[in-house]
This record gives sequence, structure tokens and C-alpha cells, in this order.
Amino acid sequence: MVARAIEETGLPTATIVLVKEHAERVKPPRALFVPFPYGFALGNPDDPPFQLKVLGAALDLFAAESAPVLAEFPEDGDAPVRLLQATDARKDASNAGGDPADEVTALRGYYERWTDDHDGRTQVGLSGVDQRRFRGLVKYMQSYQPGQDEGYAEKPAETPTPRFLRLASDDLKAFYFEAHMCQNPGQENNNLQKWFWTETAMGTMLAELAERLNASGDEELARVAFGIAR
Amino acid sequence: MPRLEDLSEVARQSQINLPAFEHDDAPFVPLSKPLSESMLGMVTTAGLHVIGDMPFSNGDQSYRVIPSSTPSSKIIQSHTSIGFDRTAFMRDVNISFPIDRLRELVDQGEIGSLAENFYSFMGANRNPKQMEEETAPELGRRMLEEGVDAVFLTPT
Repeated sequence: MVARAIEETGLPTATIVLVKEHAERVKPPRALFVPFPYGFALGNPDDPPFQLKVLGAALDLFAAESAPVLAEFPEDGDAPVRLLQATDARKDASNAGGDPADEVTALRGYYERWTDDHDGRTQVGLSGVDQRRFRGLVKYMQSYQPGQDEGYAEKPAETPTPRFLRLASDDLKAFYFEAHMCQNPGQENNNLQKWFWTETAMGTMLAELAERLNASGDEELARVAFGIAR
Repeated sequence: MPRLEDLSEVARQSQINLPAFEHDDAPFVPLSKPLSESMLGMVTTAGLHVIGDMPFSNGDQSYRVIPSSTPSSKIIQSHTSIGFDRTAFMRDVNISFPIDRLRELVDQGEIGSLAENFYSFMGANRNPKQMEEETAPELGRRMLEEGVDAVFLTPT
């Protein structure tokens, strides 16, 4: 859709598409269908040769002499087809106990090593709360009750509470996943999900937070809950 | 996306039923010169931006500017649906936004040059009317003014 709009202004476009059936209906001018899951458009992370193959196949479409063109990338990637969700992961597991704030402290060294090893790159940083203040953030989220609007001084004033809960959850997940990938490199993707949702006190805390938000009957909080754990 | 026949019935139906603008044909602008002499732009709908820029929210139809000289370590994703696995992007920005790969292709002479700015929209937009009618055409005109010859696009 964006590709069509840009092409209509006079610029040739080539786009990677993840859902072939959509591309057949929307008809972007030049599209390369790739059989990878969402989040894996170029195939495999940390695999430049494979990424270059995908990218090359997409850029080759600029040679097309008419549109639409819908080509198909012939190789599969390494990512699992189905992403493990919280509900499925937690179905057969008892809740991991423990204090998520202590867990954060224990994981901090691994998280910081991950960012050091990646030129400072991290996906933590959406909520505006520094990771060194996560203990306080965790305490706030543990005690949060629907309808409550105060009780946490670090929340940026311009961010509404429901939105903040979502961004903070995303930051905490990123902190955990990056720490765990540092601690256990080469993990298969769904093992990461399984570890988070069944073996960490944070997974338990976020699943319980999502349950409280859902139970509130508030539509906006229910949407936030769906984004935190489903 | 994996081939839909590999998905569960629920996941398959949810994909098939996503709203999509149907068209019978496609606009077509030929490349005016070989890619090795062209200035290439990049636009993603993965909800990316430079760290510190305003995060996207659901339904946000505006775009963010990501200067093409931005180190990949300064790019963050605020599209965080649990419908997809964010750990790939945590490991490697290039999985959705191949900024390092494009630089390599310029060094190898496959691409003439990179546009000064790359851009990002938010993905998973269920009613992207404003994007289709306003913000995406505006972005196209902006890239034309910036001297871009061709645009490569990536999804979430």
C-alpha cells in the first residue's frame, strides 16, 4: 500500500512482502514474497550472506519492465513458523515464584554485557525509565491496580498510564531477552519465549498484570493486556 | 510470513481476513538509470525510529526520519506486538532494516548511493486511510525532492 502510494508520486519501488495472499490483492508494483515469519523479513539475524541473497532478489525486481510483479524467494529461513504465546507456554507450567525485582538485579550484569557487546545497541528505551531504575518500576507494576493514575514518579507526565504500562512491559521484556541471549547464546526462538513465560518471576508478574487489566472491564486496559500477554 | 498452509487454522484465517485495499493493476515507474548509478531510499513499516524520537502508538499514521548515516545501534523498534518475535531485531537490526547490508552494496558498487534519509511507518495498521491518501504520498514527494531514484521497502 505504501509502495503503491510512493510509486504513484513518480518513484520506482521494490518491496518485501510476508503475506503472499495480501500482495496478490493489494498489488504493490514490484514485490518479493519471502516465506519468513513477522520480524524476520530478511531471513535470519546475524547472517549477512543470507540477508544479501534476500536483498539482492528484491533489488533485482527493479529491472522489471511492467507491474505488478510478484516474485517468490525460494529458500526457507531458520525461524520457527509458529511463535509460542504466553497462554500456551504457561498452560503446563506452575507459576515461577520469586521476586521479579531481585531477578532484575541478578540479570543486570548480563544485560549490560549484551549492550557492551553490541556497540550499545538495545531495544530497552521505550518507556523513558532508565534500566538502572527498573527495581522501582517493577514494584510499581506489581502493585498497580486498574484506575490508579499515580504512584510512580518516573512515569513521563505526557504518557497516559495505560500506554506507559505497555511501553514499560516492552522494556522489561527486552531487558530479559537481551540478558538471557547474552547468558545463553544461540537459543532457539521459542525456547526464549518459553523461558520467559514459565521460568521467570517477571513472566508471572506480567501475566498477572495482564489478568488484572483484563478483569477491569475497561476497553483500553484490555487492549494493553492483550499487548502484554495473550 | 510462512506459507499460510503451514499455519494453524486460526492464524491462517486471521491473516486472510486482515483488511487490504484490493486493486486490479499497479502503478509503474521504470528505473531511469541502472541501480549502480541510482540513489536508493529505504522505507519500512516496522515501526522503527532513532532512540529518543517519539515512539509509535497503535494506529499512528505518521512517519519518522532515520538519517541513513545512523549507526544501527541507535535504532529502536516501538512496534512491539507479541504477534511477532522481537528477539530477531534485538540481535540484528538488519533483519527488518538492512542498513548495514545496503552500505555494503554501495561499497561493492551494486548501488550508486544511499539517500540522506530513510523513513519508517508503523505496521499492523488496520485502517491506513490517512497513510494511503496523505502521509505516504507526502513522503514520496519528499524523497523525490531529496533526489532519490528508487525506493526499497520492508515490512515488520
